[in-house]
Amino acid sequence: MKKTERNLIMSDAASRLRRLTALILKGFLLLATAISLVAVLLIIAYIARDAIPFFKLRGLGELFKSTAWYPSGHPPEFGALAIFFGTGLVTLGAIVVAVPLGIAAAIALSDILPYRLRQIVKPVIEILAAIPSVAYGFFALVIFAPLLQNRGGSLLSTAAWLIALPLGLLIIFAVTEIATRSIREDMVKTARLVLDAALITILIRGLLALSTMLNSIKISSGTNALNVSIILGIMALPTIVSVAEDSLQAAGRELREGSYALGATRAETLFKVIIPAAGSGIIAAVILGVMRAVGETMVVWMASGNAAQIPSPWFNFLSPVRTLTATIAGDMGEADQVTGSSRYHVLFALALCLLLTSFVANLASEWVLRRQQRKLGGLK
Amino acid sequence: MKIFYTFLIIVLASGFLGGAEVSKITVDGSTTVGPIAKAFAEFYMKQHPGVNITVSESGSGNGAKSLINGSCQVATMSRIMKQNEYEAAVHSEVLPISHVVALDGIAMIVHPSNPVKALTMEQVKRIYTGKIKNWSQLGGPNVPIVIISRDTNSGTYETFETRVLKGEKIVKNCEYVGSNGAIRQRVQSTQAALGYVGIGFIDNTVKALPVNSVPPSPETVKNGSYPIARPLYMYTNDYPKMGSDLYLFVTLYLTRKGQAIIEETGFIPVTNY
Amino acid sequence: MKLASRKLFDRSLTGISVMAVILMALSLLVLLGPIFTRGLGAFFFRATCEHRRLMLEQFTRGDQEEIAAETRVVTEARQPVYKMLADFEEELKSMEYARRRGFNTQLKEVKDLLRELLGPLPGELEAVMLRQQYGQTRWDRSLIKLGQLLYIEQWDYSDPSQMGKKFLAPRQRSFTGTQLEQLFPYLKNNLGKMLRPRFVFYWRFLTDVSLDSHFFGGIWPEILGTIYLTLGAMLFAIPFGIIAAIYLSEFASNGRLISMLRVCISTLAGVPSIVFGLFGLAFFINTLHLSSSKSVLAGSATLALLILPTIIRSAEEALKAVPYTYKEAALSLGASQLRMVLTVLLPAALPGILTGIIISMGRAAGETAPIIFTAAVSVGQPLKLWETLSQPTPALPWNIYNLATEHQAVDQIRHVQYGMVLTLVLLVLLLNLAAILIRARISKKMRG
Repeated sequence: MKKTERNLIMSDAASRLRRLTALILKGFLLLATAISLVAVLLIIAYIARDAIPFFKLRGLGELFKSTAWYPSGHPPEFGALAIFFGTGLVTLGAIVVAVPLGIAAAIALSDILPYRLRQIVKPVIEILAAIPSVAYGFFALVIFAPLLQNRGGSLLSTAAWLIALPLGLLIIFAVTEIATRSIREDMVKTARLVLDAALITILIRGLLALSTMLNSIKISSGTNALNVSIILGIMALPTIVSVAEDSLQAAGRELREGSYALGATRAETLFKVIIPAAGSGIIAAVILGVMRAVGETMVVWMASGNAAQIPSPWFNFLSPVRTLTATIAGDMGEADQVTGSSRYHVLFALALCLLLTSFVANLASEWVLRRQQRKLGGLK
Repeated sequence: MKIFYTFLIIVLASGFLGGAEVSKITVDGSTTVGPIAKAFAEFYMKQHPGVNITVSESGSGNGAKSLINGSCQVATMSRIMKQNEYEAAVHSEVLPISHVVALDGIAMIVHPSNPVKALTMEQVKRIYTGKIKNWSQLGGPNVPIVIISRDTNSGTYETFETRVLKGEKIVKNCEYVGSNGAIRQRVQSTQAALGYVGIGFIDNTVKALPVNSVPPSPETVKNGSYPIARPLYMYTNDYPKMGSDLYLFVTLYLTRKGQAIIEETGFIPVTNY
Repeated sequence: MKLASRKLFDRSLTGISVMAVILMALSLLVLLGPIFTRGLGAFFFRATCEHRRLMLEQFTRGDQEEIAAETRVVTEARQPVYKMLADFEEELKSMEYARRRGFNTQLKEVKDLLRELLGPLPGELEAVMLRQQYGQTRWDRSLIKLGQLLYIEQWDYSDPSQMGKKFLAPRQRSFTGTQLEQLFPYLKNNLGKMLRPRFVFYWRFLTDVSLDSHFFGGIWPEILGTIYLTLGAMLFAIPFGIIAAIYLSEFASNGRLISMLRVCISTLAGVPSIVFGLFGLAFFINTLHLSSSKSVLAGSATLALLILPTIIRSAEEALKAVPYTYKEAALSLGASQLRMVLTVLLPAALPGILTGIIISMGRAAGETAPIIFTAAVSVGQPLKLWETLSQPTPALPWNIYNLATEHQAVDQIRHVQYGMVLTLVLLVLLLNLAAILIRARISKKMRG
């Protein structure tokens, strides 16, 4: 009869071998993991290496202070202030579009919508996030830009009505509530009605005037900062909504239940308890959305007009602007180091600025998220 | 999972199908010469199925750089190589040889609804340098001019800058796009726009204005009366070996069919055979 | 605050947040609506006899007899048109010079439009370029051409304070009293007989090569290029990503090195895509010389760097979600950590890892900026597998940009652009749908 020769306890040699292989394996895995470290370092190194000569040649001042961007002029000028401003302007526009919408939607998803509706809305957000940026750019250039040009005025006035009417009505009702608090019970209803009617007529009159003014605006060029801001806002929405919703959920049921037990309405719970608790998460969501908007290339290249100017006045969204990413994409052919001039190096200088911005924003959002985890973790 | 694997196998198998060794020609450069290069490529690939010709259109400057870098064999350019490009070529042991494949003119185009009938070179220069800002200063309605220009690594831009602007700077609120086709697209959808494209890109959705009373057309370009005319080039590294695919491709413009292609694309053949 | 106002506040918050969700859904609809409807127009359309002739002559597809018979019928219907043209040219010869000059330009316009509508006129030399060897292949474009034939677009510049207004003048009026006058009503009434439109489902749009710079044919080179790039990126990123995730979740101690690694991974996730493109060009092509020119290899490597952080993150989450009891059970039976990872942990986490991989595939397929200067060209043949190491390829995202901006005849190939966008969006959405289904299966398994 054959007996299986297997020891229950490993011999010294065998266990040493095992430990050695485990160590080698761990080292190998670490090496493979370190590839991401190597990649990041390489990227920073290559970009910085080719960006530094620009600063040596032209100094720091010109890039950040001058608005004259003529890289192929004689002599060439590399004032990128207008380009930085352009990036900032479209990012600001994207934030204005995405943050209110995103936070409201996150609130809806985490607290207000029933389970079944939530299951329908979540795929909508994922689809919005998954659509490739060139499809957004195609839409912005081919469908949205002509729309803005041909019907820009009426689009703007419709948007004004859509946003101002509900908000205005809300404010009116709130104001009448507060104003008629101290009136006697039996006169309160009529007093409120009168005040409401008066304020609503004022609102409608104001809106009509605003919309006639907006209707008469002729947008001369559909590829401008407004176009890009709206599209970038829609692109940043999914990020903001998912991260904000995650942090609202992370606030936990106990906080909510405690607040409800004390008699607060849902809105009061949200505004006074949950949002402050999840505050850092929401800030992180906004930062991540901003990063998405800053780093987007195809949409701005196709639909922003690419004019290196600071609009006058600075908040004129209807004028074309130029962003950092579009400048790099448009000039990327220069990045063959054949003629090795300032024109080649300035691209890397701009890329370095982009890289540093995203690096800082990343660190900020991580720090904010970690702070929230610590804060909420203590409460659990 | 099974579906995924079968799909993967099908794709990879289709990659292996087909036979002989394929030689390749990489073409890179101007968006103006792009349509000619693409048409030539398709024509040649039909006659010689074993060759794969890929065409990129990233701008004349990029074409030059790719040729010097060795990453393309034919650089299509709508301007002649600059001195520093020649110097860099020599430095990299590349000998650029130019072949003039077609003639072209740079036409000033506006939207068809624009009543302005003609422009002078001086007026074009003053519009692009920002001294003329409104169509009313040119006899049109009171609408601000939307000027559109090509981005900086374009040969069309360089020609425009040398011949029309004579080195002056373009005003800051000028919009930049990346290709001839993009300029035409902007002009045909914007009533107040003004842009410049190669003659092959004019169609009935835009109006090409006469410059200095000379309309842009094949005849006026050929006889030199149109003020902004230029040749279109293909550059190779050294003269291509006789009888090779590269040689046959680059000398297509000398054949009758090649010239028919150039004419059908809207450009002007160098001469008629 | 009084109860009523608190209730009002509550209700308005509900209203605002629901409105926000509705707005989001609406924007998705507005975005995808035109893309779907017009994109489907590249697949489902009424095709004319020219389209069928093209399919037969260029792709050898279709019944030769049937098409020959159809050509005969169509030529018969077109006879009057050509006869009228020939008669008019005879008439011109006998006209006095001034009148003849006036008609010459008009005649050239009419002939050009007829050529674009019906194909080459009889007796002319054969054109070299494909787009001039065939008439209109789509019925909707034929109707537009017919409109251009029947009406001259003219502009009324009478109002000096505004840009000109368009008005259409019937072309027939310029030819009154000549032989060509009856051409226009004849065309209007008989275009159907001359082109014989029939509804077709051109699904081969996905598998045909493009002819004559996308004027005819399909988008197979672009689709194949996108597939190659995505699979190549996966090939590079998956091994490194999964190994990194295993290391970070199983073997790593919470030291300085590890937190630095994590910071690096999240930094990599935040780098803008254009910087990846710049790095890919500067590193993979100009320094490492992975290939002498642009190539799928360089493009895949760049894309792999882009999606690496996503894979690491989702794989790590999937690994962490495996219940600790599985690992403990394996370890308690005497398995080494490696064996435990390979035989217990990875299989259990596989669906989650797969979800992450599929979503990254969708991302890699849709990215443009990294491949502009590393892999993408405007026109090229579909590559064989071994050619991908050294040759560039057309790709869906890049060609969408190219066709929508740089092409010589952007309006005439709008349907191709929409078709490409639809294909890309559907590809990405299908990948995401697959991921969602897998995830739903996991959550069901985990719950039940």
